[in-house]
This record gives sequence, C-alpha cells and structure tokens, in this order.
Amino acid sequence: MGNIAYDFQIEKDDFERAGEASSKIKKILRQLGIDSGIIRRVAIAAYEVEINLVIHSLGGTISISIDPKSIMIIAKDIGPGIENVELAMKEGYSTASDKIREMGFGAGMGLPNMKKCADSFYIESIIGKGTIITMKMMLKDGE
Amino acid sequence: MGEEYKHSVILKEDRCIGCTSCLKVCPTEAIRVREGKAKIIPERCIDCGECIKICPNHAKSAITDDLSMIKKFKYTIAIPSLTIYGQFPSNISICEMLNAIKKIGFDEVVEDTVGADISIHLIKEYLLKKSDMNLPLINSSCPAVIRLIQMRFPDLIPNIIDIETPLEITARIAKKEASRRENIKIEDIGVFFITPCTARVTSIRKPIGISKSYVDGAFSMKEIYGEIVRNLGDCNSSNMGTSTKESLYWPIAGGQAAALGIENYLAVDGIHDVIRVLEEVELGKLEDVDFIECSACSGGCVGGPLVIQNSFIAKNRIMKYARKMKETKHTIEELDSFIKMYESGLIRLTEKIEPKSVMTLDKDIVKSIQKMELVTEILKSLPGLDCGVCGSPTCRAFAEDIVKGENCKAVCIVKTMNGFKNKNK
Ligand SMILES: Nc1ncnc2c1ncn2[C@@H]1O[C@H](COP(=O)(O)OP(=O)(O)OP(=O)(O)O)[C@@H](O)[C@H]1O
Ligand code: SF4
Ligand code: SF4
Ligand SMILES: [Mg+2]
Repeated sequence: MGNIAYDFQIEKDDFERAGEASSKIKKILRQLGIDSGIIRRVAIAAYEVEINLVIHSLGGTISISIDPKSIMIIAKDIGPGIENVELAMKEGYSTASDKIREMGFGAGMGLPNMKKCADSFYIESIIGKGTIITMKMMLKDGE
Repeated sequence: MGEEYKHSVILKEDRCIGCTSCLKVCPTEAIRVREGKAKIIPERCIDCGECIKICPNHAKSAITDDLSMIKKFKYTIAIPSLTIYGQFPSNISICEMLNAIKKIGFDEVVEDTVGADISIHLIKEYLLKKSDMNLPLINSSCPAVIRLIQMRFPDLIPNIIDIETPLEITARIAKKEASRRENIKIEDIGVFFITPCTARVTSIRKPIGISKSYVDGAFSMKEIYGEIVRNLGDCNSSNMGTSTKESLYWPIAGGQAAALGIENYLAVDGIHDVIRVLEEVELGKLEDVDFIECSACSGGCVGGPLVIQNSFIAKNRIMKYARKMKETKHTIEELDSFIKMYESGLIRLTEKIEPKSVMTLDKDIVKSIQKMELVTEILKSLPGLDCGVCGSPTCRAFAEDIVKGENCKAVCIVKTMNGFKNKNK
C-alpha cells in the first residue's frame, strides 16, 4: 500500500553501464518530489553499491522501494562474498587491482560512504554465496 | 502559466505540420504535439533553441526585439555578441564590422570584450584561487545551461560561478560611462545586444541571479545581418577594435578554459552532452576537476541558433584574429578594481538561483507515489518504441501525461494497430 518498487539488474564487469541504475533511481526520486538532500544521499549510496556489484561481485540486483515515510535499497549479489566484513567496512580498505585503481575506483571508501548516507545499514555476506546490503533512508516527517 | 510569456522561442502554428522532429531533441521534454501542432510547455522550456535548429519547416522561431525599439531612447549603445567576428570573411576588419553596426543607428558600439575580459581575469586570478569554492566550478555564461541546472541538476546550483555574464558586465559599464560622459540619465540610455541565441534574449526579459538586466533589448544576429552587410565599407572610428585574445576565445567551445589558462578542466558543448557530463558531476565523479565549461550549443556560442555562419567557419575566422593578438596583462590595481566590483555585488549574482521542480508528478508525496504506480502500470501496456506519434517524446512521457491528465485525446497507434492485428488472427 502506498509503496512503489523497482529492480535493476547489475552485470559483473559492465563498466559501460555502471552508474545507470543510480541515475535512474535519482530521476525517479526527483519525479516523486523527494527532498533533494535525501536524493543526494540515496544517489551516492546507490552509486557506490552499484559500482561494487560491477567491480567486486559476480553480478546481482539492486532493488529500491519507496513509501511516503522511507526509502529502502537492497543490493543482493550471487557471490563471491566478502571474507572479512569488518575489515571491508574500514575506510581505505580495498582489494581492488591496480587496473581498477587506475580507473579511479578502489579508494576503499564505498562501503563507509554507504553507511554514512543511510539512516540504517546492514551487511550480510557468506563466502561462496553472496552479499546482501540493506539500507534505509527516512524521509522528513510530515512529508 | 498565467504569467506573461517571457520565453523567446515560439511556434508559428501555420508552418508546423506536427512532424515530431522537435519532440526528440528537446532536452527537457518540453514539447508535445497536440491536435497536429507542436506546443511548448512554458515551465519546462529552457530556450536552448534546439527545436529551432532542427525544425525542417522553420515553424519554431525566436521572438527578438524590433529595431524600431532604439527610437525609444535618447542615447543608444549596441553590444554585438563576440560571435560576430566569425560572421564575415577575414578581409573585413573588426573595426569595419563595428562601424557598420553603429551606422544602423546606434550612438555607440561597445565590444563584449569589456565584460569578458573582467570575467576572465576575476575567475582566473581570484575565484579559482579561493579555497571555499565548490569544485568543479561551472561557468555561468550560458543561460540555457543554468536553466537546465535549475530544473534537472538542482544539487549543482552551488557549483555555478556567481559572476554575471560578460554581457551584463559590459552593459553595466557601458551605461555608467555613457551616462557620465554624455551627461544623460541612465534611464535614457538604451543598451541592445546583438544576439546569437534565444537563451540570452530570455535572460534579458527574465534574468537569473540578478533582479533586473541592464540590457534593454536584443536583436537577432540573423535578422540584422543584412543591415550590417549593407553598411560595411569604412572604418574611421578611433575607439573600436578593443578585443583581447582571451575574449575572442570566449564564444568558442573550449575557449573559456583556454582563456583562463586552466589545465584541469572539461569543455562540454551541445546540450545533450552537457546533460551527460552533469549527470556524472552530480554523482560526485568529477570532484577532482577544477572547472567545467558548458555551452548549450555545439561548438560554443558560435553554434548558436541565431548566427549566420556555421560554427566551424566562424571558429576558424575568430581564431585568425585571436592569433594576431598578444596576451592581456592587467596591473594589480586593475585586478583590485575588478575584485571590488565583484565583492561589492556590482557584477556578482546577488539573487539566489532557485531550483525548479517542474518534473515532479505531484506536490504531495503520497499522491506522487500513487501517480508513479499508475505510470508504471500504463508503461507495461505500451510498446516502448518511443516513436513520438502519440505526441509525447517517449512512451514514459506519454504515460506521465495521461496520469497528469494532460492528454485525454492522444492514443498509442502502435498499441491500437497490434490490438487490431490480434483481433483479426
Ligand atoms: N558486493 C561485493 N562482493 C564482494 N566483495 C565486495 C563487495 N563489495 C565490497 N567488497 C569488498 O569490500 C572492499 C571494500 O569495498 P568499498 O566499496 O568500501 O571499497 P572499494 O570498492 O574497494 O573502493 P571504492 O568504493 O572507494 O572505489 C572491496 O575492495 C571488496 O574487496
Ligand atoms: S527551446 Fe529548447 S527547451 Fe525550449 S522547447 Fe525548444 S528544445 Fe525544448
Ligand atoms: S552556448 Fe552560447 S549561443 Fe548557445 S545558448 Fe548558450 S549562450 Fe546562447
Ligand atoms: Mg566500492
């Protein structure tokens, strides 16, 4: 009731389209008339998670659902999973190759940024199975 | 709506055959074809002139001012756009062009160099060196881009350099000087711009970032070109041809960054490429870039919708003049006076540039979610060809128009045809 949801498929190594899902998400939020500060946070978090799926995962889905009170982003991939989640969450920690770094990624800031942008952030990862990240942003009350 | 129509792009209905060519090129989805004629949604139009450029029937045109307007003022000043130097064969000197413009009936011609030069040096020596700027800085001199940012990239408003356009700076200085020199009141002086584009005309009527424009009217370069050509032939005025190398670069894509001597920049021209790059900036991907020069027109202002020459030829000609000139150096005193003009607000954008939420489905979030659900539902039944025959630029826009109640009569022909085929199987 009163909620709307979208799914975006993200392919491994699809650098050409990387960022497309977060762009689309942003457009949708703007059309819905969401506060621009919140749009910005959602867009950054969605972008970081999208890039991680492209670079580090074997592919997956980003789902976003919006209701009048909150926005929920769920990113789910099919592997390979993160060995040490606590370490991965540290600012500056990255397993990105030199090639990836040359492209401007791999500063190890993606996960910490997501956490900063979201009002709540959960990450669950099983080696060999995959990673699920759940982020929630609250909309201003009364909106 | 309701308010006085301040746009400078209009449609000549009798010429429009509803071909939908313009639907696709409009960067803000501001055009619909209804009852066989194109219509512009005024809140969405950024006056970029793309539709004028593409229309095969010349149905889209620019409303600029009529030359007779100069009779309303005791003293008149013409400011030709810097693109003018590219509109004539190279054997015609700048001085000759300016003289020919003056002969149309102006008391004085002031080159836009005045403002461009101040703007260039202020940005270069002062604003780029300030530490509290939002990088990348986005130039403010193309009004179509600024309106696009207000509408589609409101998060980037703080990145816009808050300095007035070279034209406004030139107009201010020219008016003040004429008033002092000729001892006439500012109100009695008319400043007229010879414009390469519609976006600037709208900015005179409805300025962004300042409360009132110092320019009183604008003449289309195309329209008065013949008049200028007729007057060519002599060059005996002393105070003309003051262009600097840097200011000549200004109307050419990449020229602003070149004039500023910046290395870490992007020069983006053509409104659709501007959108692509601003999308990246909005994602925070370009924070390591100092300056982004955006022009709505391909090639820069020399590619404006109201110029005569194609942008490549114009660029070649302007570069020929520019190569002959030395680089400009200003004394510390001069620079200080520019900084003072800026800091005191004289040549600074003093009004807030407001975001414009014209893309929103509804003010109320609950309702807009419901409307969005409906849009998604309708979209499922549409073919997704974005053919434009229904009169909306894309299937999505068609669905949105239905939900907003804006097109009760339009139908999807493809869908109807398919339905028809299936019935007859
Ligand atoms: N979906 C994922 N699947 C597998 N490993 C991941 C996934 N997301 C993140 N990681 C691991 O966590 C590390 C840290 O991720 P984070 O996004 O913080 O940094 P980064 O992607 O390496 O660099 P940056 O995001 O700054 O470009 C990554 O280097 C990677 O090893
Ligand atoms: S001038 Fe530009 S924004 Fe306005 S209707 Fe034409 S193409 Fe669209
Ligand atoms: S690029 Fe120049 S000519 Fe084109 S719309 Fe912008 S200001 Fe006008
Ligand atoms: Mg990352």
